[in-house]
Amino acid sequence: MGETTQEPDARQIATEARDRVRFEEEALALSDQVYRVARHLVGSREEAEDLMQETYARAFRSWRSFQPGTNLRAWLLRILTNLNIDRGRRQQRAPDMQPLEEGDYFLYNKLEASGDGVTDEEHVVERLSQNDVVAALSEVPHDFRDVVVLVDIGDFTYADAAQILDIPIGTVMSRLHRGRRILKQAMAESAVGDEAA
Amino acid sequence: MTAYDPCSHCEEVMQPFMDRVLTDVERSEAEAHLEECSYCRKRYRFEANLRQFVRQAVAVEPIPVELKQKLRELRTPLQ
Repeated sequence: MGETTQEPDARQIATEARDRVRFEEEALALSDQVYRVARHLVGSREEAEDLMQETYARAFRSWRSFQPGTNLRAWLLRILTNLNIDRGRRQQRAPDMQPLEEGDYFLYNKLEASGDGVTDEEHVVERLSQNDVVAALSEVPHDFRDVVVLVDIGDFTYADAAQILDIPIGTVMSRLHRGRRILKQAMAESAVGDEAA
Repeated sequence: MTAYDPCSHCEEVMQPFMDRVLTDVERSEAEAHLEECSYCRKRYRFEANLRQFVRQAVAVEPIPVELKQKLRELRTPLQ
């Protein structure tokens, strides 16, 4: 009788160990993608590397709280953003909501107007340099940049971004809308100069 | 009250259209406008190219090998 009660326990332990190893391998397989997003969410490479280690240490400790079948990459980034806030590196604050007058066509119109007759949309974009984009992204305030990074660079859905940042989906949409416009305005200024302001 | 400007409306819905979050009706309206309006179509193509360009421009170096190794070492030791 004693053996029959111990058997399920042994099986349970083995199953749990197998699930844990699988979880850890799946999480590690995503480290490249998590790092790519993390690099844009935090200030420096060193900070990103520290946070990656803290994130994975916590994830491996609390792997049971991950619900299989849900988005593991989003779950890891949620941990990372929470740790980042805990460290006081980021303060959650109400974003500055000054009106932006420019619409979505602003950047194209600026680039087209300043070009030497080149209006082909394939080539207009080539008037931007990699530096223009990188510099412009760094100018977008954190609250807006986080959402732009998650959705446009990390390929997360609005719902995933809302979960990662712990904000309502409507806030994701409004910050994305505004963040993209700030980014475009900054790219226009970088590529065309002050006349874009 | 201002007159309805289909190009202004298209500009407003351009990003949600590209994010595929419009309703079927809104999406059909946007597609119909893009079909007939070369001004907006040109800007739509630019936006699509721009997204790709931004993604490539900000691509960071891959995760450092040493960091990846450190993460592996954080795994729970097998009993």
